Amino acid sequence: MTQRREFLTASLAALYAMTNPARAQSTPTIEAELNLITPVSKFIHDAALAEFAKYARERWKLNIKTNALAAGTPVAYGRIVEWKGRPEVDIFWGGESALFDKLAEQKLMVPLNLSKATFDTIPATIGKPKPIYLKDPKGFWIGTALEPYGLVYHPTLLKRLGVPPLKDWDDLLNPKLRGHVAQCAPSRSSSSHATYEVILQQYGDAKGWEWLKRLAANTGLFTARSRDVPSVVAKGEFAVGFAVPSYMAFEERLAGFDIRFVAPKTAWITPEPMGILAGARNPQAARAFVEFLLTERGQKIFMERGLFPLSPKYHVKGAPGSDAEKAVEFTGGVRSYFDREVTNIYDDDKAQARYNEVNEQFRKDIESVLEELKKKY
Amino acid sequence: MTALTATAGSAQVKGTRGAILAAIGYGLIWVFLAIFLIYPLTRIFYDAFTTEAGQFTLLNFQDFFDDSFYVRSFWKSMLLGVATVGTTSIIGVAVAFLLIRYEFPYRNAFSYLTLLPIISPPLVGVLGFTFILGRAGTVNVILQDYLGLQQPINFMYGLHGVLLVETLHLFPMITLSILDALSKVDPSLEESAQSVGAKGWRRFWDITLPLTMPGYISGALLVFIWTFADFVTPLVLGVHDLLASQAYLNIVQFVDRRLFKMGIVISALMVLLAIIFVLVARHYVTIKDYSSLAYSKVERRRLSPVKRWAAVAFLGGLMFISFIPHMGVTLAAFGRGWSLTPFPLEYTTQFFERVSIETPKYILNSFVYCGIAVTICLVVGVPMAWVLARTRAPGKNTLDAMTTLILAIPGTAIGIAYVRAFHYPLPFIDTALTSMWIILPLVLAMRRLPYTVRGSYASLLLVHKSMEEAAGSVGATQMRIFRDITFPMVWKGILVGALFSFMTSLQEASATLFLTLGGWEMMPFGIFTFYISGSQNEAAALGFILIMVAAVSLFVINRIAGTKVGGLFG
Repeated sequence: MTQRREFLTASLAALYAMTNPARAQSTPTIEAELNLITPVSKFIHDAALAEFAKYARERWKLNIKTNALAAGTPVAYGRIVEWKGRPEVDIFWGGESALFDKLAEQKLMVPLNLSKATFDTIPATIGKPKPIYLKDPKGFWIGTALEPYGLVYHPTLLKRLGVPPLKDWDDLLNPKLRGHVAQCAPSRSSSSHATYEVILQQYGDAKGWEWLKRLAANTGLFTARSRDVPSVVAKGEFAVGFAVPSYMAFEERLAGFDIRFVAPKTAWITPEPMGILAGARNPQAARAFVEFLLTERGQKIFMERGLFPLSPKYHVKGAPGSDAEKAVEFTGGVRSYFDREVTNIYDDDKAQARYNEVNEQFRKDIESVLEELKKKY
Repeated sequence: MTALTATAGSAQVKGTRGAILAAIGYGLIWVFLAIFLIYPLTRIFYDAFTTEAGQFTLLNFQDFFDDSFYVRSFWKSMLLGVATVGTTSIIGVAVAFLLIRYEFPYRNAFSYLTLLPIISPPLVGVLGFTFILGRAGTVNVILQDYLGLQQPINFMYGLHGVLLVETLHLFPMITLSILDALSKVDPSLEESAQSVGAKGWRRFWDITLPLTMPGYISGALLVFIWTFADFVTPLVLGVHDLLASQAYLNIVQFVDRRLFKMGIVISALMVLLAIIFVLVARHYVTIKDYSSLAYSKVERRRLSPVKRWAAVAFLGGLMFISFIPHMGVTLAAFGRGWSLTPFPLEYTTQFFERVSIETPKYILNSFVYCGIAVTICLVVGVPMAWVLARTRAPGKNTLDAMTTLILAIPGTAIGIAYVRAFHYPLPFIDTALTSMWIILPLVLAMRRLPYTVRGSYASLLLVHKSMEEAAGSVGATQMRIFRDITFPMVWKGILVGALFSFMTSLQEASATLFLTLGGWEMMPFGIFTFYISGSQNEAAALGFILIMVAAVSLFVINRIAGTKVGGLFG
């Protein structure tokens, strides 16, 4: 009798566990709140937070309140420093990994303490001759998805101007594009700054600056924010945009615009790093979010939006006509960056060491003398 | 600030208890201003005049004036401000004259419509203009595709584009400011001038102009400062070499501490300039001269049929151009893949779906924060107006000047001043004011206080003192007088002022920009967020909603306030 009852109880419990796995595992639950500061567009961070909230409901029966503070990389970094270890948010997401190293040095980040399984699926680096780091060996940050900073153009306008479709950086200097290029100043956008460095490191400083001055002479608009570059090209205000993250252009494509994206061979690829801030009020939720983004379900959020998986395990693939397939077509047939030779000449350490100098030189040699440059070239 | 001990308004208050209470109340007004205006401003001046180590220095300003780019920005800002005052004056004066002096068809409709451009939300205006007048805007597409133009005409990108946007946004400010003055000019003065042979321009120069000057100057000052402080419009149009743009760009540039400091220096410089402008115009812009929101009836002349329709055509054309932004924003909010065609080919609600998740939060925050802000405005502003209108309290003139100064201080400057001043943990609660959402209503209240003061002041002037004194002589207490005599006569004016504070708070994006943290976003901040990290269509969708919210609010205000706002010109 007792045995029978015990059996019954046990089987009921098992049944309960099967129908309700979240309760059964005694997983430690997470805080019901998560806040980010990020330069990553709303297109991506809104989707990521929404999917994570769904996941939290399924796994912990938790209605998690999420919020993202949208801020350009320099602003985000600056605010974290200003918060002095009493941050208003839990996670910093996006921008250059070197900034995360700087924050870790200032003790403004805590180690992620990811599970070994998750940590190990991510390769340490990608690209040659210069490696692009995908995770911090010390464990303070990890990448989330890969994304090239390339060029965008408006095919109809380009045809009207008699310019063939763009393939490489040098195509931007075509004199027919005079006044038709849009770009963002390197001091205001990390994608622009990184691409300025790509040009400088590819051509060497002297020739590189000469190249950038010629580009400035062709530029019709310096936008205030990098997100505006694909917008003005999609609309047809300007024919070509410089240093645009792939997904920003893809967002315009999904919004119905005819905009094309090209990643030149030396285009820099960012892993969109993520780290947890020291003093974060929701450390468990933050950690769960990082882990979640690196699962297949998490990576899918990126793969459907013009970004690429961070792990060789996954490939961008979907049903014909799906957003994932549209993204593959949009980015020139790339399904994973781990299947191909990735050329990288951008040295982030070098770039970070002279970050302000490059901005200062831009201001002095380009921004202040823009009208003269337009006359000269 | 010695006013704390003063027996404020003793002439009106009978009995020492009342006098003490009044003095305390007056003191509290000063405490409020000291904490939320004077202290933050002192704080950015401290920052601007010291090194990182806290040593006094003028080097920051020397750096500014040694830098040719900054100096150019300085002069371009001045030029833009002067040019905008010029263009808004031509339009604004013409509109004011037509509306107040002449009778023509649809005059009432125009008197309402010409007010609307001023409530166009920041960013929405300039975005809307580029959708219609940009290189790929409707006008250029038509010129190129149907009229064979080779290259698009650059209407927008450059200083001329900024001038266009500011002009069409701000001309109602001139109209409003001189309307008051103009309606006080007795037409008989002009008529007598005419009778002795002074006609047309001569009469205008000798009679009308001098009489309307004070109102005009205060309006012109507001237009100048507004243009001077606007950074959103120039940034969208690619104009970076202006003071406001540089202040904003340098401040958000946290990484480079030197540039960050420069941003604060530029903000301090802008406040300094605002103070100078106010002092220079001081003679004209005491509260008396820019106060009235109510107008005496003026006899209107009938125009000849030709002139009558010319007036309608002018105002109609002006309104058409002024509503270009609203049109552009609406088309972009609903149009899908709108590129290189005069109008969108496909329509969608997808952008509204994208913004709909956060929109309720934005709207709720907007109303809660603006509601609290207006409450603060009323609590502080109405007593302030009373002090200005009814007493000879010491420090009264300074109070008056400060009300004007608040209007003149650029929003970004006050925003950064709050960040610098209030990021220290408060005693007892160990949290900084900048970490608490109440800072947003506080900064809004401070920035929009002058409108409440001005509305209340104007209606207090309408209640003649002798009425209150009469009540007093038959034994009514001060409270009783206020409740039975003063309040019934002034509440509408106070309400209109408060609602103006509310409407302008709803549109505010500059001071709140640096202070907003996740979860506190109001509608204009939401538009800004969608603009900088979403797509232009999403920003447009949100802009469309904000325009609707503002229009509904204005309608409600109109209903509540009856003739006071809608019949502003009548």
